[in-house]
Amino acid sequence: MRAGPSQEEIRRHNLGALLRHVHLSGPTSRAELTSRMGLNRSTIMALTADLTAAGLVREELPRETGRAGRPSLVVRPESARVYVFALDVGVDRLVAARVGLGGTILDRRETVRRRGTFSLDEIVGPLAAFARQMHRKTRADTVCVGVAAAFSGGVARGDGVVRFGPNMGAVDVPFADEMARRLAFGLPVMVGNDANLAALAEHTRGVGVGCRDLVYLHGDVGIGGGVIVNGQLLGGHGGFGGEVGHMVVNPKGRSCGCGSLGCLEAEVGERALLESAGLFGSGVGRDAVRAVVDAADRGDIGAQAALSRVGDWLGLGVANLVNIFNPEMVVFGGMLREIYLGSAAQVRSRLAVDALPTCRDNLRLRTSALGDDATLVGAAELAFAQVLADPIEVLARAGS
Amino acid sequence: MTPVLELRGIDKSFGPVQVLHDVDFSVHLGEVTALVGDNGAGKSTLVKCVGGIYPIDSGDYLFDGKAVQVHSPRDAGALGIEIVYQDLALCDNLDIVQNMFLGREQKRGLVLDEDTMEEMAARTLESLSVRTVKSIRQLVASLSGGQRQTVAIAKAVLWNGKVVILDEPTAALGVAQTAQVLELVRRLADQGLAVVLISHNMNDVFAVSDRIATLYLGRMAAQVKTSDVTHAQVVELITSGRSGDLGLTNGVTV
Repeated sequence: MRAGPSQEEIRRHNLGALLRHVHLSGPTSRAELTSRMGLNRSTIMALTADLTAAGLVREELPRETGRAGRPSLVVRPESARVYVFALDVGVDRLVAARVGLGGTILDRRETVRRRGTFSLDEIVGPLAAFARQMHRKTRADTVCVGVAAAFSGGVARGDGVVRFGPNMGAVDVPFADEMARRLAFGLPVMVGNDANLAALAEHTRGVGVGCRDLVYLHGDVGIGGGVIVNGQLLGGHGGFGGEVGHMVVNPKGRSCGCGSLGCLEAEVGERALLESAGLFGSGVGRDAVRAVVDAADRGDIGAQAALSRVGDWLGLGVANLVNIFNPEMVVFGGMLREIYLGSAAQVRSRLAVDALPTCRDNLRLRTSALGDDATLVGAAELAFAQVLADPIEVLARAGS
Repeated sequence: MTPVLELRGIDKSFGPVQVLHDVDFSVHLGEVTALVGDNGAGKSTLVKCVGGIYPIDSGDYLFDGKAVQVHSPRDAGALGIEIVYQDLALCDNLDIVQNMFLGREQKRGLVLDEDTMEEMAARTLESLSVRTVKSIRQLVASLSGGQRQTVAIAKAVLWNGKVVILDEPTAALGVAQTAQVLELVRRLADQGLAVVLISHNMNDVFAVSDRIATLYLGRMAAQVKTSDVTHAQVVELITSGRSGDLGLTNGVTV
């Protein structure tokens, strides 16, 4: 039998916990950390001293508080010094960003991805070039502690292979290994499903802060999702959980990229909206979706009918999710933000009819607070995961 | 939970024309209450009664559960009730900070305390996560419709308002700006304020509201939780004052 955690393990855990506080809440006074972490003042002092020595945080006198007594020192994340690379692979765009500890986006590069046949090289190439450009611009005393990517597709837990991505045309793509090889930073590349990561981002930094049970729906070309249950992302057995876009809502419905009929994605995704508005082929992507919402707002009855049809299916999908997970909040992100706002009457009417009163009673429906950056922020958080778990060790490795 | 603002049995006539009949209306902290109804149903009159512009003929006005007398907009302001009208009442020739403090300028001795005002304005805009405005010293004339609406709302929030009433805030806006204003409306309520949203757009109403109050020919047809009703029911309440078990019987409150 194993004894309880060793002192070393407890210390590592506490260092990580303190760093996570500062990383998520920004500059925090020692006094506040003491009360929030439930640790002794001298313990907090020792922990901050260790983190300061490692160059992860710095302590400063706060601005005038206007109160009597010696002010408590404020602990700030070293955002300009410790950073990660966050990558976002969407169907229509590729983004690379350098994100500082604390979540500040220090630098970013973005390019349009053309739709068509899938080529790993056309994704990895530009992203690696962006990352290296940004890396060259950094000062010598900065340190990169992780790289992670959000990918619009199903990613296997552990090996970073993208198993499927119907809207990208990706099948069994060894994205993580190839990305790490091309970057040559000597760091592994973590990969996650974009909607899963966006769900975590909204949970830690967005509209869902403080919310233990949340369902996030992400609209890119298709519909993805992330389900957070009791503060944890529901990954499932192989890490492919939360594919709400492939929940069948209409068995006699439209055909889906996954091969099935009437998936939520097939009834609500970009193609469904554009086709029922009679605009399919005239444009793709977010701009085309916005154009439909805009036309509906100006009184175009074709666009209104299309939006209300899509809203009805979306409402049915959400009603099912609400009945199964009884979340506190449902968040609409990506292109679903516009679609929800433009068809909320249909979505909520469906919910009123199809969701169980007990499940929908205190449900809050919200749009993403991080907007188009939700997936990127999620990738950054994934990249920071290791340094937050074991700050000193990871930093020592990265610095060597 | 006691409503922060509650009206009971409000009557209001202009000469021989009775505009509000026995209206009950309540709003709660942390919630968006949508006030809907056809043109002429009495929405604006009700709001002006709440804001102290029109005196009420009879009925009770309760704030935080206590009966109060509201005889002027100043009284309503003192309670923490702010109204943002459709015309926004902003001055084009003044900048954002000057507009937000118009008529309530902060002074240090005899001179204006520009630093404090600037800081308060900046803090308010930041607390509302407003990122669309470049500089708070920008003239209001140079702002877009959505930004103006945002400044008008921020002005209302600045004074520790508890109840913010917005009259058709998205009426003149394009889709992108409507989305921003709706999200701002939602954020106000999530931060603990009580928000009343007057709107004709059912998608806006369903997107952000927690309750819907429907006026029909000067009577409160129904005040319902948004999660319990459908679009069709609300439209029916607006147009006929009744939908199934909800609403008025023979056009009168039972």
